[in-house]
Amino acid sequence: MSEPGSGGHSKPQEAGETGVITEVRALLAELTGDERPLTAPAGTPLLRDGIGLDSLGGTLLLTYVRRRFGVDVAGEDLNLDSLATIGTLAAFISARLGGQA
Amino acid sequence: MIKCVVWDLDNTLLAGIYLESAGQPPPADPQMAGLLAELAARGILHAVASRNPPEAGAHAQAQTGHAFAAIRCGWGAKSEAVAAIIDQLGLTAESVAVVDDDSLERAEVAFAHPDVLVLAPHELAEAVTWPQFNPPAVTDEARRRGELYLQRRARSEEAKAFGGSRDDFLRYCGTAVTIAAASPADLPRLHELSVRTHQFNSSAAQVSEEEFGRLLGSPERRVITVRLSDRYADDGLVGACVVRPSGGTWDTELLMMSCRAMGRGVIDALLAWICRAAQAGAATEVTLPCVISPRSVPLRIALTGAGFRAAGPADARTRTAVYARRLDEPLPAMPSWAHAAADLE
Repeated sequence: MSEPGSGGHSKPQEAGETGVITEVRALLAELTGDERPLTAPAGTPLLRDGIGLDSLGGTLLLTYVRRRFGVDVAGEDLNLDSLATIGTLAAFISARLGGQA
Repeated sequence: MIKCVVWDLDNTLLAGIYLESAGQPPPADPQMAGLLAELAARGILHAVASRNPPEAGAHAQAQTGHAFAAIRCGWGAKSEAVAAIIDQLGLTAESVAVVDDDSLERAEVAFAHPDVLVLAPHELAEAVTWPQFNPPAVTDEARRRGELYLQRRARSEEAKAFGGSRDDFLRYCGTAVTIAAASPADLPRLHELSVRTHQFNSSAAQVSEEEFGRLLGSPERRVITVRLSDRYADDGLVGACVVRPSGGTWDTELLMMSCRAMGRGVIDALLAWICRAAQAGAATEVTLPCVISPRSVPLRIALTGAGFRAAGPADARTRTAVYARRLDEPLPAMPSWAHAAADLE
């Protein structure tokens, strides 16, 4: 299967936040079929205005994040504050990866 | 409740092996084709997952006369084909049954998807009498479900080819979301939605037709319906909510939406309407209790997008968190393709 995020649960090679943010941008580009997320600033909102994900897109993104990083964002973040921007999601994932190391 | 049966082809839906019948592919197995037609009449969807070339799916469609909601033919693991079908149709694993004559394939699917009902062909004849294959209310929407999924397939293929934003695409499709007060004629469909919806249902409880009837007659509550159509299909009644205006707070006691309306702006329109109607009714806050589970993630994302926040952690017993949204902040916009019926103005 060639779905985005299907690379298993291996840790990213560069575990730092910069590496994670690059991967999040790549997941978003695959999800939206648009190259703009690749260069979008970290402060770009994910929902609605911004990347423009709706609940379906947001759910797919969280599914890909769980497959790629093994981080269950929805299970840990009741208010989904981490879905505010590209940067907040990357920071949330990095913090969880750091905590497991 | 089973919403979709995923069929193996060789020696299951087909009376023979597709690739071993050079030039003369096997006909449909009459007993299995009969069960398929019976289940389709109950509003249950059908899909194909087979280790065969793609032409085998078209052959099965021709032999059974049934247009499948999804077809996955290929050489990967059967469990991956089943996962792709679940994704594509927006289903949950426990609403899916897989019928396969091969015991190894059945074991592989059952291992990967413990919530999927896995059956051998000879078990299906009895299984169709089980409650999970017998939806309580068969509404017009349910009977047309297979057809609607096909139209959805056409829409999603066009969406992939479309270059613009999601909103541009929904406008291009002629999407129309109509929000209106419920009427007694809506009761069977409201009950069905409460049974069938999981990913977009704020409550874990099923609501009977009688109970919806009482809510409809209650002067303290408003039962609101959402209908959806575009140039591909008229999906009919796809969502609803029950709100109880009380002083400065509108409490949304129930909110539900069919997963086939996912990604089409329906939930955003309904949440925007609730906030705007509450403000027009001089409320200062909208509340919405929501069951917190892996299934409710899409609804929680929609709530976050519409500015709702959980006031505290979920209750340990009911797993329910109360979301709230203040109305003195800018309200979510009503999409241009959504409108409220005259009786709500």
